[in-house]
This record gives sequence, C-alpha cells and structure tokens, in this order.
Amino acid sequence: MATLQRMDWYDIARTTNWTPKYVQEDELFPPELSGTMGIPLEKWESYDEPFKQSYPEYVKVQREKDAGAYSVKAALERSKIYETADPGWISVLKAHYGAIAREEYHASQSEARMARFGKAPGQRNMATLGMMDEIRHGQIQLFFPHEHVSKDRQFDWAHKAMDTNEWAAIAARHMFDDIFAARNATEIGLMLTFAFETGFTNMQFLGLAADAAEAGDWTFSSLISSIQTDESRHAQIGGPLIPILVANGKKAEAQKLIDIALWRSWKLFSVLTGPIMDYYTPLEDRKQSFKEFMHEWIVTQFERALVDVGLERPWYWDQLLDEIEWQHHGMHIGVWFWRPTVWWNPAAGASPEERAWLEEKYPGWNATFGTVWDVITENVVKGDMAQTYPETLPVICNMCQLPVNATPGPAWRVRDVPHMHEGRLYHFCSEGCKWVFEQEPSRYEGHLTLVDRFLAGHIQPMDLGGALKYMGLAPGEIGDDAHNYAWAHAAHAERLKKAS
Amino acid sequence: MALFPLTSNFEGDFVLQLVAVDTDNTMDEVASAAAHHSVNRRVADRPGHGLRVRRQGVKEPFPRTLKVGESGLHPMECIEVIWEAPASPR
Repeated sequence: MATLQRMDWYDIARTTNWTPKYVQEDELFPPELSGTMGIPLEKWESYDEPFKQSYPEYVKVQREKDAGAYSVKAALERSKIYETADPGWISVLKAHYGAIAREEYHASQSEARMARFGKAPGQRNMATLGMMDEIRHGQIQLFFPHEHVSKDRQFDWAHKAMDTNEWAAIAARHMFDDIFAARNATEIGLMLTFAFETGFTNMQFLGLAADAAEAGDWTFSSLISSIQTDESRHAQIGGPLIPILVANGKKAEAQKLIDIALWRSWKLFSVLTGPIMDYYTPLEDRKQSFKEFMHEWIVTQFERALVDVGLERPWYWDQLLDEIEWQHHGMHIGVWFWRPTVWWNPAAGASPEERAWLEEKYPGWNATFGTVWDVITENVVKGDMAQTYPETLPVICNMCQLPVNATPGPAWRVRDVPHMHEGRLYHFCSEGCKWVFEQEPSRYEGHLTLVDRFLAGHIQPMDLGGALKYMGLAPGEIGDDAHNYAWAHAAHAERLKKAS
Repeated sequence: MALFPLTSNFEGDFVLQLVAVDTDNTMDEVASAAAHHSVNRRVADRPGHGLRVRRQGVKEPFPRTLKVGESGLHPMECIEVIWEAPASPR
C-alpha cells in the first residue's frame, strides 16, 4: 500500500485544536497551567515547530539511539574505566550524574504539562516526544552509573542526591523548580527549552562529550551524545512561542522569563560545569576552557538566537560577560574547600602544569585565585591539614543558593548584595540574582538557605558532623581531594626550584 | 550578652562567611574571629599588620573598642575586615 510522505499529512494530523462546546476555553486550558497571557486559542495555531517528527519516526530513531548507547556500554564494561581513568574524570561522572539524572526525569513532568496544557498544537506534539525523551534521559543516566555503585558509594548519589539537603542538590532543585517544575506551559517552553536547553545544555552535553572522548571514556561520550540529539530537537519547543507572544503584545513578558532563566542557568553552570571543565578534566584531555565554551555556545550562539526571534540581549549581558572571566574559579575553590560536603572528590587542578594552563587561559589567575591555592598548598605540604578545611559555613545567596564569592587576592572584589524585604535581610551574590528575586518576591521569600536553616536551628548538632548528617552524607560518601593532594607537593617543589 | 551572627567579608579572601560573635565583643574581637576563618586558610598572614572592621560600603572603620551590640549592625549584616598598616596588634 502506498503511504504518503510525512510532510503530506503532518500539518493536518497535528491540527488538534477544536472549539470546546461543553466547557469554557479557560476550563480546557486553565490560564495558570497554560500560561497563555490572555491570548486566544486561534492565535496559537500559527505555532510552527522547526523540527517535525511523527510518532513512528520517533520510536524508530529512539530505539536505534538506545541500542547504540547500551551496546557501547555492554562492549566496554570490561574496559575498567573506573579503575584506569584519572580520578578527576571519575569526579566529573559523579558530579554530572548526581546533579542531572533525576532532574531529567523531573523535566519529563514539565514536558507533559506542555503536552497537555500548551495551546499550540505543534507545541503539544513536540512536548509529547520531549516528555518521552526526558524519561529516557532519567532512566539511562541512572542505569549507567549503577554498575559502579558496588565499587564506590558516591555513584549512588546519581539516584540519591535530589532526595537530600546536600547544598549543591538544594541549589540545583531551587533552580530547576523555578524554571520548569513550578511553571506553566508557556513559561516552561521559554525557560526550560529556549533558555536552559538552547543556551546551556549544549555546554554540559557537547562540551562534556568532547572531553569524554578525549579521556577515552567512550561509554559516557556515547551516552551524552545520544542525549544531546534529543535535546537539540526538544530545545526547539520554546522558540516558535516567542513570535506569537511578540505579535500579541507580550514581548516584555517573554523577555523577562528568558532573562530570569538564563541568569539562573548561568549560576548553576558556573558551579557545575566550570570546575568540571577547567579543573577536574585531566589537562591533556581538555578541548577548550570553560570560558571558550561559554563564548562559543552562549555569548555568540544564544545572542544570535535571541535576535532571530525578535528579543534583546538581557539587561545584565555585560555583567554576564564579566562573570564568565572569574565566577567559576571561586565556585571551584568553594567546592574544594568545603569538600566533605559534596558527593564527589573534587580535583584541585592546581599542579604547576595546570596552573600554567589556567594562567594562559585566564591571564592574571596566579595573582588572584592562585593566591588562595598558594596558602592551601603550603598547608598541605606542612601537613597542617586542619587549615585546609573550613570551620564555618559560607554565606549563601538567597537566589542561586551558592556561596557568595568573587575574585580574591590584591584585586579582591567580593561583595554582598543585600536586600531588605518585609523585615528580613536577604543576601545575593549579584545584581542578577537580586533582580530575579525582585520580579516576584512572593515566589522566593519563604525559602531558607542552608545558612538560614543553620541559624534557625534545623541543623543539629551545630557543627560539621551535624551538617553532614543534615545533608545526608554518610561515611564513604563525603568528598576528599581526588588526587590525594599530589598536586600540592608538585606545586611546592616547583616553587622551591624557582626560588633556588 | 547574646550570640550575634555576622557575614564576614575578609580582605583578600574569595567568599563571604558566617561568623558567630557576641553582642559584648569589641570590633577587635570580631576581626580576630573573622581572621580565624580566613587567615592562613586561604589568605596569607601579613605580619605586623592590624585588622579593622567596617560596614560594607563605608570607608571609615568602626572604633576598635566599639561593642557589636552598640554598633547598629543587623544580625547577618556584611562587615568588611580589612588589613591595616602599620602595626596595631590583634
């Protein structure tokens, strides 16, 4: 039997809007779930998704993708990547799985919300496929690390992290809840797919895939490449919504939602992806610096994407460009110094060769962030390990939930951005985070940072042991230096050599 | 006399930190408490230098003997702890 080509029937098949007869339009598409800003049903029918796929095509392609990734894993299970890879690379895997796997599954619920409540038929169709994508991403990124759990309990955090009060998990949850879990169909399209996935997922998945291949971890490389092909499709859900919003007088609303999501995504990537790329990945396997990736994938490409859909650069663009130079270096020191509080073993990345690479990529690194590593290095070499650990908590931003930090040393520029709201003093790391809060204070005001919780007596006893217990970190799971401090002795020897 | 949390921004360090002091503590004692969490951990000591405490954004430091409870600081307000030369022992 002759079959029609997809494009001969696709438009008719996905024209699934109808005129409701027994209920009002707002009952069929409740505004609080659809988020349609008063724009009537027929206006959404001009939505035209750039990537069209039918369900049978989807199933066929996805089956092939899964077969590819799982067969690479099966073939390489005896390759002993866990035993042979650099410990810094193992930390990349642990940090990635813990922060991402369960949130992928979470994202499937938001895709489902778009699939049901989006007023645009094309959006609903694409989101149906996106929903299944995210279920796949959740499952595959829980299954792949599972083979390592019996050897290393930190890999159990792929599944466990999001059920804990560990600080990085709180930061990730706060951001993901804000940009998709607690948003309506239009907001999810703009904030999750357009801002986060178009803007930033490329960083985590394309960048890491390149580094994984260099590191010889073909299992992880094929896994995340497989995921990225889905992301590049369903990331396109949000874009076609924007011309509809702009044409119906809602440009400012669209711009604001994207600006919020992009800023929040940036902060999370500065603590997750920045240290992974510039410190954990073995030096010889680094394809580009985090800053170079950011400029290629965010500054250039995302800016172009914004202009293409009729929007402007976010108001904080210059601040973002500035932070790309330094923010992740401070985040990295924070993670390393408070290392018992993470589920992976941070790689310091401060050997002589690594410091030379950092200085080349970030001129002035040695005179700023390097001064902190100088003190840490000397303490390690002296055996004064107590001084390489904290005895208090960092102050946490009330928006991004990350330590408030900036450039140290003679160019010291650390600043609190305080904000008094209804009698409570809030602390922000940046004007960007404060601005997000001010857009909808009632949305954020009730949340307590880890420090707020400590001061409120939620963490008992009020010491490191109490904090680790509160965060769900058991012995055998708490982080330590990935390379057993070998880098410090190398750095010290290099300094002595230069002095002699 | 009561426990009083402050946000410490120590000159040369990279991060804001929680520092628990007492309303009866002097500014010199506050500086010392803040230094405990920064100096020789991530900030090199500066022998012979003293430390002063000031409100963020204010150039003049607090008097060294001023008590926290009399300073007008809010709980968790950000203080800057800055090096001072020549020496004033801490």
